[in-house]
Amino acid sequence: MANVFSNAFSSLGEWVNERAPGLMPVYRKHMTEYYAPKNFNLWYYFGSLALLVLVNQIVTGIFLTMNYDPSASGAFDSVQYIMRDVEWGWLIRYMHTTGASLFFVVVYLHMFRGLMYGSYQKPRELVWLLGMLIFLVLMAEAFMGYVLPWGNMSFWGAKVIVSLFGTIPVIGKDLVEWIMGDYLPADATLNRFFALHVIALPLVLLLLVVLHLAALHEVGSNNPDGVDVKHGPKGNRWDPTKPADGIPFHPYYTVKDLVGVGLFLAIAAFIIFFQPTFGGWFLEHDNSVPANNLVTPAQIKPVWYFTAFYAIVRMIPSALGTAVWGVLGMFGAIVLLFLMPWIDGGKVKSIRYRGTGYKVALGLFVLAFFGLVLIGTDSTAELIPMLFGAGVDVTSLENLFGRVMVLIYFGFFVFLWLYTHLGWEKTKPVPERVTTHD
Amino acid sequence: MANEVVDQGRRRFLTTTTAVVGGVGVVAAAVPFIKSWEPSAKAKAAGAPVTQSLKKIEPGQQLIVAWRSLPVFIVNRSPAQLAALPKQDGRLVDPGSDGASADQQPKYAQNATRSIKPEWLVMIGICTHLGCVPDYVGEMKAEPFDPNWQGGYYCPCHHSRYDMAGRVYQGVPAPKNMAIPPYHFVDDATVQIGVDAEGNA
Amino acid sequence: MTKRYISLFALAFGLLLGTSAAMAEGPELPDAGTNLRDTASLQRGAHIFFNYCVGCHSLKYLRYERIADDLGLTQDEVMKNLDFTGGKFGDPVVSHMPPEDAQKFFGKAPPDLSLEVSAKGENWVFAYLNAFYLDPKSPIGWNNTVLPNAAMPFPLWELQGEQVPVMKPATPGDDPQIEKLTLLHPGKLTPEQYQQAARDVTNFLQYASEPAALERRHYGIWVVLFLLGFTFLAYLLKKEYWKDVH
Repeated sequence: MANVFSNAFSSLGEWVNERAPGLMPVYRKHMTEYYAPKNFNLWYYFGSLALLVLVNQIVTGIFLTMNYDPSASGAFDSVQYIMRDVEWGWLIRYMHTTGASLFFVVVYLHMFRGLMYGSYQKPRELVWLLGMLIFLVLMAEAFMGYVLPWGNMSFWGAKVIVSLFGTIPVIGKDLVEWIMGDYLPADATLNRFFALHVIALPLVLLLLVVLHLAALHEVGSNNPDGVDVKHGPKGNRWDPTKPADGIPFHPYYTVKDLVGVGLFLAIAAFIIFFQPTFGGWFLEHDNSVPANNLVTPAQIKPVWYFTAFYAIVRMIPSALGTAVWGVLGMFGAIVLLFLMPWIDGGKVKSIRYRGTGYKVALGLFVLAFFGLVLIGTDSTAELIPMLFGAGVDVTSLENLFGRVMVLIYFGFFVFLWLYTHLGWEKTKPVPERVTTHD
Repeated sequence: MANEVVDQGRRRFLTTTTAVVGGVGVVAAAVPFIKSWEPSAKAKAAGAPVTQSLKKIEPGQQLIVAWRSLPVFIVNRSPAQLAALPKQDGRLVDPGSDGASADQQPKYAQNATRSIKPEWLVMIGICTHLGCVPDYVGEMKAEPFDPNWQGGYYCPCHHSRYDMAGRVYQGVPAPKNMAIPPYHFVDDATVQIGVDAEGNA
Repeated sequence: MTKRYISLFALAFGLLLGTSAAMAEGPELPDAGTNLRDTASLQRGAHIFFNYCVGCHSLKYLRYERIADDLGLTQDEVMKNLDFTGGKFGDPVVSHMPPEDAQKFFGKAPPDLSLEVSAKGENWVFAYLNAFYLDPKSPIGWNNTVLPNAAMPFPLWELQGEQVPVMKPATPGDDPQIEKLTLLHPGKLTPEQYQQAARDVTNFLQYASEPAALERRHYGIWVVLFLLGFTFLAYLLKKEYWKDVH
């Protein structure tokens, strides 16, 4: 029985191979003969998980599109139609909404991995730039998707985020009207965001993901030791000319990633089935109220994954009669990440062998990021009275805390440049070959 | 430790087991997506049985109600129209509705008048040729398409003709008698379309 | 190494879940104590809703048929005991009052309550139902401590009775503040019975906000267990293959 199947498969393989001899080499190059360093740790799961979530978003998104009505009058009702009248519609929608938040969890961890092990450094600058582009497009994609349910948070979120462009001198006001196609977020806005969310941006994302992977496989993967296995000794049990510390991606990392996939899906399923709103973090309470252009929700704040950048806008005051500085700060916070390969002039890649200054700076940078998330989600408004008593001046404490966090965020990049380019960093010796700890 | 013997049997067993369990998971995950294409609760509600009072329909009159968006003809057939039915048998394709049209009505309407009560015709008003809605031509007088017309239906699309029980005439494009939906009488003056007396849809 | 990371992630995830749960509701509202698995409570809540609330409030996303299916009621029971507006079994729940009339009577159309618990939380709804008091200054005669100046008269007064406020000792310069509410005239129910009734209505509205919550928990446990089982298998497979790697 098993023989019948394997014979059928191998003759099918031959049939395809005769007609498309170029396919097998591509498969080998990226799977069975892609030699990845053998010392990947837990941080290396998040790349494949991001790909998994992307597939989930596309599949569930296609099925949501089948029942969603992209009009200001019908959008909100159609979401409830999906949640109640369409068989299993609730599951498909929760998979999409939970997937959106988990996408950012996974991508942030993936980016942090890159910072920790110097994955942006030469020769992987292009991989990093493409990854940052993915992050940027993902933010646009997520924002437009957030507008589609046309709840009151969708409406006011759209209004506030689009208004960020209004701070640009001279053209700002016209630009805002052009983006919305109206004077407030309206039918026209919803329609164009829908088109961009379901067709244009996913295509761009897919293209960028392919390029990101292609660029990675040209230079090879980094690893927790930051030692380039391509430059090390040659010869492993599969191929005498390949890196001694490399192992074929398939089957070794496919089976390893499968463990990560299983665990990740179990966590995702737990959220989808038991905590789909995640206490208002993944799906906000105020978005259960239909869009209303006359009533602003009590708190306008973006979903958690934007809040770090949004908090920067809030913490930078206006000056010289314009609010553009906050917006510049927000975009600057992302642009600086793009420039990491050139800001960091460090001689070693991995945090394991870098100077203490780098370790402290990166730790503070992560703390600042979390601090900004807390401010952006308005959690500080609840936490400050809890910590300092009810009588304190919440706003000024929050501003103080927030501005320190903004300074640390930007200070990280300034410090890193000085630290590495002026030769202050004392590194530890990097081993010749990768190490394994398990 | 370098080249210790690989237990190929265990490896193959684990690969197969993981693949099978994973495959089961993928198939199970596909079920909700496939099921989401079933008619939604909204579509089902719109297709729910329709109740219609018969009080205001005079003999010879037709009322059209929508059931699952389909036009349903309810006709109070006059004694003259009923008397004309058996005389048509020779000109019809399937007068007993037991040939080509055997599946065009529930068992309880497979009779000479194709109805539960002789005077009340309840029928889906869709031509069996290509789906047009035939016109009700109830008067028994000479018509351009039939000098000996005894009342019935005339389809404007391709000129198919039916008698007062929705039975198709010979020599027209339509192959079958028009369909009778499941229905029953709630009381003497009320009919419910879409479900029979036993509750079967 | 890996174990350290795993426990770190588990800790972070647990913390996140904890904070999210703690911050889901405002800290000051008491727990509504609703339970979606308590079908009897849902049925009682539905009865109160359809006897006292549906006059003004619709549930436009919830169909009678769905109520029957989810609350274990027959079509006859729902149509006789709950549907007083002549809607069909498959129709959504509409209110008695045309919106134009409502606008005229209350100055603002009573909101649809399909998503009230999603928007405000069950604790808010429960507290709101306990917070009505007589207020001669209000044009409708009623006010509410949870939603001051609510445009809604108290429909459940004959159950709870009539509450009046007890004011805090006045401090000069500040507006007078309500310390608590006390029952002036008892209603048909004792305070304990009324608490239960309010809890039942809240429970029903929580169900109405997300009918899928019933199914979702039912399937969830099996999905998670299956995935954990799969993960274990994948782990064994990984161990087996990684014997090659030294």
